[in-house]
Amino acid sequence: MHNWIRGLFKGSMLGAVLAASAISAVISVSVTRTTGQATRPATVDGKPNLSGIWQANNEAHWDLEAHAARAGAVMQEGIYPYAYARVPAAPVVALGAAAGVPGSLGIVQGDGEIPYTQEAAAIKQENGDNWIDRDPELKCYLPGIPRATYMPYPFEITQSTNKIHMSYAFANAARTIHLDDVARPPDYTYMGHSVGRWEGDTLVVDVDYFNGKNWFDRAGNFHSEALRLEERFTPVTPDRIQYDVTIEDANVFTRPWRISMPLYRRVEPNMQLLEYRCTEFAEEFNYGHLRKEPLVTRWEGETMIVDITRKVPVGDALYDWYRK
Amino acid sequence: MRKRILTLLGVGLVVVVGLVGSTQVGLMGQTAGAQSDASLRTPWGEPDLQGIWTEEFDTPLERPEGFGNREFYTDEEYAEADNERARLLAGQTTTGGDRRSAPGSQNDVAGAYSNAHLSFKHLGRRTSMIVDPPSGRIPPLTQEAQALATREREWRRSLLRSTETCQLGLPACSGQDYDPVPSPRRNESPPRYNTGRMNRHDNPEDGAFGDRCLLGSLAPSETAFGGNFRRIIQTPGGVTMYYDQGQGQGFQRNIVMDGSPHLPETIRQWFGDSRGHWEGDTLVIDVTNFTPKQNFRGSRENLHLVERWTRTGPDTLEYEVTIEDPTVWIQPWTVKQELGRQSDQENRIYYEPRCHEGNYGFPALLKGARLAEEDYAAGTGQHPATFDNVTGSGIQRFPGSR
Repeated sequence: MHNWIRGLFKGSMLGAVLAASAISAVISVSVTRTTGQATRPATVDGKPNLSGIWQANNEAHWDLEAHAARAGAVMQEGIYPYAYARVPAAPVVALGAAAGVPGSLGIVQGDGEIPYTQEAAAIKQENGDNWIDRDPELKCYLPGIPRATYMPYPFEITQSTNKIHMSYAFANAARTIHLDDVARPPDYTYMGHSVGRWEGDTLVVDVDYFNGKNWFDRAGNFHSEALRLEERFTPVTPDRIQYDVTIEDANVFTRPWRISMPLYRRVEPNMQLLEYRCTEFAEEFNYGHLRKEPLVTRWEGETMIVDITRKVPVGDALYDWYRK
Repeated sequence: MRKRILTLLGVGLVVVVGLVGSTQVGLMGQTAGAQSDASLRTPWGEPDLQGIWTEEFDTPLERPEGFGNREFYTDEEYAEADNERARLLAGQTTTGGDRRSAPGSQNDVAGAYSNAHLSFKHLGRRTSMIVDPPSGRIPPLTQEAQALATREREWRRSLLRSTETCQLGLPACSGQDYDPVPSPRRNESPPRYNTGRMNRHDNPEDGAFGDRCLLGSLAPSETAFGGNFRRIIQTPGGVTMYYDQGQGQGFQRNIVMDGSPHLPETIRQWFGDSRGHWEGDTLVIDVTNFTPKQNFRGSRENLHLVERWTRTGPDTLEYEVTIEDPTVWIQPWTVKQELGRQSDQENRIYYEPRCHEGNYGFPALLKGARLAEEDYAAGTGQHPATFDNVTGSGIQRFPGSR
């Protein structure tokens, strides 16, 4: 027994028994791990078992590249003319500190920058400037790969022998990774056509046949229908997968580039995938202006202006005293 | 011109959206090669339900008159019924037929489905999908459910009273009197959350689920022309099912297999909460926690399904579901379907429910309604409530001003 445990219990026999049973409890949990599914063996047909519910835990869904935190997901010029003095704009101003964007060191490997062609870099900039009008996520369109993997929603892997299925909470999206030979889909796709193979303990998935309508993140990073991915899922521990993707698209990028991040198992014992059927959630966003009596009442030409009604912060005793 | 097209669309009776998901199966389906019995189990020893499965034959939910408690047709009856059905389908029908109405008419805009683009399955051997009660018919509704259904029917009917459908006394008017003054009930909310077509398009919520791309459903349905596939994938202790339900309205379903109880009452989902276990070689799934927004023949949040999935052969999977809702039916009822295995290699299933992404029809329908209101306000069009853009019994000639 380790000295620190002995010290903790000052050598008492009862202490030693308790400590030993605590250790054995920890060991038995790690062997018969349950995470919302029945006991899961370490392998399926001799391959590492990736089945279960996973989620990225990073800021890549905001921006793959390194970025400082900012006050609002949508910003406008403040009273000072400096870019760093911008303030939250109407779409998020009523949400206060809950609607900011957390900073990140980025997940793009190498020099950390996405190698856009000159024309594509300009489109990316425009995309970012017009985020709420252009991002397919806001309309609840199918998120595409790799974006679905690191959106802030869990996804579930069901690993069989010839197929590995991934279902994503967002938009009820799904994809089947074919380890066997199958015909291609009859049309280009949002979620891509995924063909997988094992290289040792790593699941390698080639994805193509995209329709070019997806983005990578909320910063306007984008690709065309020429996108090709090589995804690598490498189990590091029973509860962590290293996820690496090589991204290639000659229409948009000057060379292939790579992103990398850990994916974590949702280890809560009662974890299960719940619906996020955003087709319905986004109806006001998509069709609200076509109501007989729109909930949005201000228009400038074809632009709708959302009026926000909110109370100033109240309920704080000092604030109420001061207001008198 | 664009405005005119939008107006036409808005008053068209069927706006078809996202025609991307209705994968067609051949008449006999594509079946995989014969397998040995050993291959009906997964390498880890569970019954193997994996693959793409569909109903290869068309069987009505309820048994037609004249077959009593008989579950199957005789050979002679089958041949006669299948031929007669083929003859009818080839002709002018409301569900198919190669129909084309006068160009510029409401019905012409509406005729998006035709036999030129559809293939039909053969009739199944079963006289009905319903096997219990033995009559093959859905049990009677409770009084409560009947009253609610009547209230809803009357409200929907009131939206038609100043249309030409009623003026001409067409069947879709259901016998109510024509009144040129639109019903004041137009401003009421429906008696329960709307899921079907109504002759009003004030808001997105007035749209039918099909128009809103919210049609996918777990409950069994008749599928005369395909578009109801499911892919099952298993892992030790886990089962996932992807449903491709035509018009890109598919959905994903992950079965919880750890023996834990259902979700708390407060969590309600469109596809419910599925919890499964094995009983011998049968996968039994108990489904509850439906949202009151979903609708299966009047059953909403109290819908309870008990499904039984059994692999019956290399290319066959039996699906049996007992449907229960004591607030709607006086007794539970059971449906049985024999599903046929489809080729994995051909991979004819859409796992992209992308109805929504291509749904230009729905905003066009709303826009059409707004334009009709503008016309009326400007004195250049008839009252919007006088258009019937829902029953299919509308006037033949478009009377609008644009």
